[in-house]
Amino acid sequence: MQAFVFFWLAGLLLVLGTLLAFFSKQKAPRQVGFAAALVGFLSLLATPWTLSFSPSSAFGHLLGSVLGPSVLLAVGFYQIAFSGHVPVGRLSKQDRVLGVAMVVVGVVWFEAMHWWTLTPTYPSDVNPYWLIFWPTMLLFGFATATGAYAFVGVAGDNRLREQRLMMVVSVFFLALMVLGATSDGPHVDRERFITELLLAASDLFGVLVGAAAAVLLFFLVVMLYERQQPEPATLPPPTNEQLDQASAVVAHHLGGGEEE
Amino acid sequence: MKDSSPARTLVRLSLWSVLPSALLVLAIWWVSDPSIEEALVRFVNAMLTSFTLISFMLLVVLFTYGDARKRPLAPIVGMFLLVSISVGLTLFFLSQGDFLMEANASVRAQYLSNIIRFGTTVAAASVSLVVVGGTLLASLLNTPPKVIRFEEE
Repeated sequence: MQAFVFFWLAGLLLVLGTLLAFFSKQKAPRQVGFAAALVGFLSLLATPWTLSFSPSSAFGHLLGSVLGPSVLLAVGFYQIAFSGHVPVGRLSKQDRVLGVAMVVVGVVWFEAMHWWTLTPTYPSDVNPYWLIFWPTMLLFGFATATGAYAFVGVAGDNRLREQRLMMVVSVFFLALMVLGATSDGPHVDRERFITELLLAASDLFGVLVGAAAAVLLFFLVVMLYERQQPEPATLPPPTNEQLDQASAVVAHHLGGGEEE
Repeated sequence: MKDSSPARTLVRLSLWSVLPSALLVLAIWWVSDPSIEEALVRFVNAMLTSFTLISFMLLVVLFTYGDARKRPLAPIVGMFLLVSISVGLTLFFLSQGDFLMEANASVRAQYLSNIIRFGTTVAAASVSLVVVGGTLLASLLNTPPKVIRFEEE
């Protein structure tokens, strides 16, 4: 019962709240959704204390462990991006420097979680979800960066700088994977990393195939429903009086002579 | 957008996204001695879980978007059936011997473990998106706007 309330109900609140907050058009459900998502997230974070007896609490521990560097990266990139050439609400130069520092600390923090003593351990072994998280992040980051390299080349004009940058990011992710597969870390040896990397590839491929099938069937359901709808009633043609009225409105807006 | 057919562009983008990672995984697979069976089990579990959970999320999206269409019941019922079928299918496959079972004692434990693993994959993918998207956005917004200079008449 305790696990249901503090973990599964919290997870459901997080998912439903996020969807409501993002997709609802009215203000009240959006606020309720945001509050529910926050409560769910905090409850998940607290599971190492509220559900210390359950193996599921390792997931809450992982979320707490990666929250710090993730927030640093997100806020850091925001600071760097919006201190650039934006027309409204531009941040200062100091904000950009602070953003760069936050990104560097975030990256170093993540690296230290694999290569130094900051590896999430729960309660005494390496957190099993960290072993899934780290290779998945590297592999998906590599795939996204190479995809973004091609996308920038296709969609942009003279975007060589961005293409080079995406190449650097993808090489960075690749180098981290190769290093992990060839050198032992203090807590995760290279054999374990290789196994987890291959399993992460299976996970990612499975998630993508499942998601694609769900989206395809979603479109099919909506399309079938829309096709069964009757044609909308055809309106009668406008009367002469309505046409005259429309002409008067158009003439009024197209004139412009009085303002000159 | 440069001149190219949309299908060709889509294929090109997909290849750039998938091929380098696939080659890397194949190379690591080649030099190591992995268990193909374990990877296959993880793939099927991830696929079934992802299908069920994404269908459920799309059902919720359909419900919240229904305001604009006087909340029609038919597509919601359709998606509900889809979610129910996918949950049923997952439970059916999990209960067929040990094929999809990992280090879990019961079908329920395996199902819950799949959901937590899905959450971990989504969290990891989100952080990667922050890194790649953040780098790209920061570079784009820090590029000076192009100035078009006209010759003096």
